[in-house]
Amino acid sequence: MTAPATTGLIGGREITRADVEDFLYAEADILDAWKYDDWLALFEPGARFEVPATDWTGTSMLASGSFVTDDYDLLRARVKRLKSRKAHAENPPSRTHRMISNVRLHEPAPEDGGEPGLLRVTAAFIVHRARDGEFDAYVGRYDHLLVTGGDALRFRRRRAVLGHEHLPAGSRLSFIL
Amino acid sequence: MPEPNGGGLPGRLVVEDWEALTFRVNRIAYRSPEIFRAERDRIWARSWLYLGHETEVAGPNDFKTRTLGGRPLIFCRDSGGTVRAFLNACPHRGTILCREREGSSKLFQCFYHAWTFRNNGDVAAIPGKEAYEAAGEGFLDSMRLRAVPRLEIHEGFVFVAFDPDVPPLLEYLGDAADYMTMISEQHADGMEVLPGTQLYGVRGNWKLGVENAMDGYHFSPTHNTFVGYLRETGFAVTDDDQYAYNLGNGHGLLVLTGHGGRISMLWEPRFGEDEKVRTAEHRAEMDRRLGPERARYVADESHILFVWPNLLLFDLEGLSIRQLEPVAADQTDVRAWQLAPRGEDAETRALRMKTMVSFVGPGGLATPDDIEAYEAVQRGIEATAAEARPEFDFSDMSRGMVDEVKGVQGRSIDEGAMRGFWRHWVDALGVEDGLSVAGPRPERFLEGRNVR
Repeated sequence: MTAPATTGLIGGREITRADVEDFLYAEADILDAWKYDDWLALFEPGARFEVPATDWTGTSMLASGSFVTDDYDLLRARVKRLKSRKAHAENPPSRTHRMISNVRLHEPAPEDGGEPGLLRVTAAFIVHRARDGEFDAYVGRYDHLLVTGGDALRFRRRRAVLGHEHLPAGSRLSFIL
Repeated sequence: MPEPNGGGLPGRLVVEDWEALTFRVNRIAYRSPEIFRAERDRIWARSWLYLGHETEVAGPNDFKTRTLGGRPLIFCRDSGGTVRAFLNACPHRGTILCREREGSSKLFQCFYHAWTFRNNGDVAAIPGKEAYEAAGEGFLDSMRLRAVPRLEIHEGFVFVAFDPDVPPLLEYLGDAADYMTMISEQHADGMEVLPGTQLYGVRGNWKLGVENAMDGYHFSPTHNTFVGYLRETGFAVTDDDQYAYNLGNGHGLLVLTGHGGRISMLWEPRFGEDEKVRTAEHRAEMDRRLGPERARYVADESHILFVWPNLLLFDLEGLSIRQLEPVAADQTDVRAWQLAPRGEDAETRALRMKTMVSFVGPGGLATPDDIEAYEAVQRGIEATAAEARPEFDFSDMSRGMVDEVKGVQGRSIDEGAMRGFWRHWVDALGVEDGLSVAGPRPERFLEGRNVR
């Protein structure tokens, strides 16, 4: 299998898988530390955050049901909410521990637009979440679109696709998957 | 029939005191495995249950599989176009017949011994069936798929009953039926269920999910951050002049006019300027089609409708169907579908998805706090289990009883719809002394709502 050509650059040099892994690992640390403003800064303005339903078959989240279909306004509202102590479902916050692997770089799919510098990244994730005396695991696959070209990578689309057939008990998605 | 003593279940499950104006629910109702089993037998096995929407099986041969009241079912449209529900177990040895979540098929074949059935329930093939010839002519007929005894459809909402003797669906729905008709009247081309089902589990008793939906009192404190978000977009939430109705037969209704706009019917700033124009056009069309008075009820009011025992219709900014499937006393599976106008333009559809998913989904900005509430209640009520002072093991739902005595319609921020639910529950459970009444109980309670 040949590694797909990466068209993007950061800081003037071509992006490697290690660069993308560093970006994803840094994001995981930010989320595990509840640094929501730092997390929001990883998105370019206008970006989207999506978590499809577990019976998702590839339909657009603009036209079908899902768990999360945030445009940039809603994403900011979500961050503002999570920072409030009145976000009861995350007060006290869930303790999360994220593991990311199987990171791969791809050409963006045609429906993602053929813009130069856009990079599609897939990865496997496990998020363990401890809250209320329970310990739950959320397993799935990231399917992100990253924007390159500046000094750092940024999300244009951050998508977390759950591997579960349904969310088991205790699985309200008040935290970030 | 229930045993006369209620099968050994405790009494005093619901305690009304009309002198003190208190209404209390015994917390054992949320945590007892015995009560959970009794509910399966006396409620879920005997009542009409919401199965799904007929647009989920839109074409001939479409099917979904779904568990209802603990029983695995096939929900399908047969090759002739009739909507059907079968027990999803092979009549031969009980194997799960269809192991797919959804699809399209004229036949269901059991993998175990390859018995094959048509989607109208007829036996299509039994391998080596000559071995059964001695059993006579009736054998094949006795091996038809087991249909759920009753299935009726109202405005596309498909209900089934495991008890063949339930009353006709419309009689059972009573005043709730018209609120489902109003949903179908929102758009000239009708409504359809969209792909993308929110399937999630909650660590709480199913009745906490019903209470939460019939409870306008929690909205401001529980959804503080959501109310704040709406305020920033230019919408001020109010609870003024909004009411909760008991519709009879355990059904309940909240009428909300101050909690948000309604896409394509009642504009609010967060929907944007383009939507303002679309709303004016569609609203004028509704006036012409339905008449101004009916259009006002259909378009301008948000409704949360509870249809006993497992259906919640959130007819709010958009429309979300929520089905409750109790799994254990302390665990409930929830399924939620988006119901949207057929043929809706892409821009309105995207606004609808964003708005509804951000509010009434488990990944939204509001519903996670509701789930937090029912899970926190489920954990909290352990504190008073086996309490030396048994009166502490009750939850209070007295709010608004003073109006109930006077026969005044209860507000959405009172607890009257919950009291109606619990009265119906204790009656359906059939436990002797389940309902304890002290003091002069009103001869009747307000029921229904006249919108005609």
